Amino acid sequence: MSNFLKDNQSPLDYVTIKVDDQSHIKIKSQKKCLNKCENKPCTYYCPTRVFSWDDQSNKIKVAYERCIECLACPFGCPLNNIDWNFPQGGYGVIYQPNGQ
Amino acid sequence: MGNDRYNVIIVGAGPAGSAAAIRLAQNDLSVALIERGEKPGTKTMFGGSIYADPTSRVIPEFWEDAPLERPLVTDEFWLLDRDSAVKVGFTGLKYKRSPYNKFSALRSKFDPWFAQQAVNEGADLMTSTLVKDLVYEKTGLLNKKVAGVKLDSGEVIHSDVVLLAEGASANLTEKAGLRGEIETSSMFLYVKEELALPAEKIESRFNLEPNEGANVGMIGYPTSGIAGKGGLWTNKESISLIVGGYLNQIIKKGASPYQMLSRFKAHPLVSRLIDGAKTVAYKSRIIPKGGYESLPQLYDDGILVAGDAAVMISGRRGTDLAMLTGLYAADIIAQARAAEDYSSRVLKGYDKRVSNSFFMKNIKKGKGGHQYQKDHPDADYLLTKAANDAAYKFFEVGSESSSEKMKKIRQEILDMQPIKKTVKDIYYGLQDWSVF
Repeated sequence: MSNFLKDNQSPLDYVTIKVDDQSHIKIKSQKKCLNKCENKPCTYYCPTRVFSWDDQSNKIKVAYERCIECLACPFGCPLNNIDWNFPQGGYGVIYQPNGQ
Repeated sequence: MGNDRYNVIIVGAGPAGSAAAIRLAQNDLSVALIERGEKPGTKTMFGGSIYADPTSRVIPEFWEDAPLERPLVTDEFWLLDRDSAVKVGFTGLKYKRSPYNKFSALRSKFDPWFAQQAVNEGADLMTSTLVKDLVYEKTGLLNKKVAGVKLDSGEVIHSDVVLLAEGASANLTEKAGLRGEIETSSMFLYVKEELALPAEKIESRFNLEPNEGANVGMIGYPTSGIAGKGGLWTNKESISLIVGGYLNQIIKKGASPYQMLSRFKAHPLVSRLIDGAKTVAYKSRIIPKGGYESLPQLYDDGILVAGDAAVMISGRRGTDLAMLTGLYAADIIAQARAAEDYSSRVLKGYDKRVSNSFFMKNIKKGKGGHQYQKDHPDADYLLTKAANDAAYKFFEVGSESSSEKMKKIRQEILDMQPIKKTVKDIYYGLQDWSVF
């Protein structure tokens, strides 16, 4: 899940994130994802793949620690089913002046 | 800190918020500039360019001091196809001297410096601080006005007026009832990589001398069938590469933004520019592209909205419009203080000022274009294809007369799609690109 390309590169290698112990992203209704969402677009339009479909539990898994706060997911979800909040002050992505 | 009441609270220390804070502090208003990142610029990104004229209205001759990358002397626009590009460009060496034109820059360097200028003027900057909510006070039986903010610590800070410069998500703007739902088709999603490359290599690849920079905007191949853009900026010792498109089209086409970026990087005409460069940063951000139809209400009692939160985007310009709206807001707030009236009666002067600005004329003009791109997501792609096919034919050395050759090219363009559609594609394309 963490790899984006065949050569195993992950863009998260180039991002600093100060991870909070609380998730700032919640799925409002997992039932909606299961029954009403055909393509599960959040699993591909998120630039860091925070969301993935878990076949075992039939749920969207949310890896909030990968989030770089692009703000796309709450707007992109066709069912308005993603509750996205800002991480608390000082937490989350920290873009560095010269990369890492 | 040590102060729980300010004349003005500004939410967000980006270009809009810091520009307003500088101007307000200069006018001796007490200002709290609140930023959720541990430093300004740690949460956001742009292509990008800092524009000399609007920025110098905030800080004259800012280029003497600001952390900028390179003055941009070369501006190119590529219609990029699979293995070719039709290029339009201009190089003006006048742009490498004062008063300059544009600079390449990185927000993680520029924003902290810009906010520091506000601090130098006397504003209080609070970092790692998230504003959770607005606080109201009653001003009559039925009326209320914004009177401060509530922080994630639970602390409340009071002010005469709150300026929202909170960026594209515009959460508080929504909470204040100033905007409706934002449509997916009004959002652009960009991803970016910064790639480290020695200065000499950048200069030889882009035909530059030290302290000269280039910017290339591209359409067609970078986003394939999605209406979107690719772009490349030369920094001092790195290259910024971005690609992005309408969020609803990315979703519809099943595109992954990171894979889009990787594919763009692998294009034969792009890969040679970044060959050997090492990725040092990956960033992403949405930008409101809704244009005129999705502008929020810009003011209410005790509150104003500026920058991306106010959808102040026109073509590729956004950072400078953020600064200008920040300045306009600051001017009106100073007037409100003089009148001791922070109600919408005075604050609506801000809306008037924005409505009469040159950029609102541009945003209004782009009105139909936005709808056109919505209805014809493949317009840029088809045009790019046609231009490249025609160029291949045009430059080919063959054994036909030039009139035969032109006839063939004309026929091919006519065959591609109805001529009326092509003309429209070009018309709306130009509108969109003119400020690309």
